Amino acid sequence: MRNKSVVTEAYQIQFSIELIKLGARLQLLQEETALSRERLIRLYKEVRGKSPSKGMLPYSTDWFISWAPNIHSSLFMNIYKFMQENVGKNAIETFIKSYQLYTEQVQIDGEKPVLSITRAWVLLRFFNAKMMQVTECKECGGEFVIHANELCKHYLCGICHAPSRAGKSKKNIVAAAATHDMGLAMAH
Amino acid sequence: MNTAQLHQEIQEANLSYMLLARQMIQDDEAGAIFRLGINQEMADLIGGLSPAQLLKMAASNMLLCRFRFDERLLLNMITDYNEDRLMAHTHSAILMAKRPAEALAA
Repeated sequence: MRNKSVVTEAYQIQFSIELIKLGARLQLLQEETALSRERLIRLYKEVRGKSPSKGMLPYSTDWFISWAPNIHSSLFMNIYKFMQENVGKNAIETFIKSYQLYTEQVQIDGEKPVLSITRAWVLLRFFNAKMMQVTECKECGGEFVIHANELCKHYLCGICHAPSRAGKSKKNIVAAAATHDMGLAMAH
Repeated sequence: MNTAQLHQEIQEANLSYMLLARQMIQDDEAGAIFRLGINQEMADLIGGLSPAQLLKMAASNMLLCRFRFDERLLLNMITDYNEDRLMAHTHSAILMAKRPAEALAA
């Protein structure tokens, strides 16, 4: 594919830079732009200062179902759907903006974005391919990501019905203990 | 607080709300639409208001902003507000994003 228009090319380079900054993999860029692979690699090296990582993209739908990833991908999906309905921008701009809003939202809760931009993009592809869908939680009414055609008459989301060990990874427990100790030290 | 004071407070709140909304729309339209929960048409309208129009709108005895939660969301927040709730902001963002955006009446 060759670009005829210089303006289109400039525009594509611009949003490619945006995507690379957000951590997009090369395959994503190749799909979303008409720029050649060589140019994309050069661009990637210039922006990140290193070669793009190799290997296949994550391709499992199951990843989006486990606890933390499910909440994060549901949040992203809700934002994306809102943007798609209400903002008159093209698909890639809507995607970039939604991802930025998602990372911002997660940081308010003091967490790291679990969903990488490449995963978010793969998630959208799963939705387009009708491999995944959203369903309403019967308790809070929020929409959450599930496999397509799953039986979900009495679906309860991961926040209303958190599994007992949810959010209690080793790292989190150590961090909580540290803040607790700090609180004690300040009290004395 | 007497009525005159109340009116003044409302007008001040209105003015800062309108100014903030317009600023948000002018800086980053797509983000503002999400954060304010309005649609594109409304964003264009508010973004295009002149300072005089803003002042005129703000000088009302009604508040221009309103609560965006429905009962369920509100209930969810109230029932658990003193517990250390898992991902509370994320949860409310998921519920909030599902709600339809404010639109101009046809």
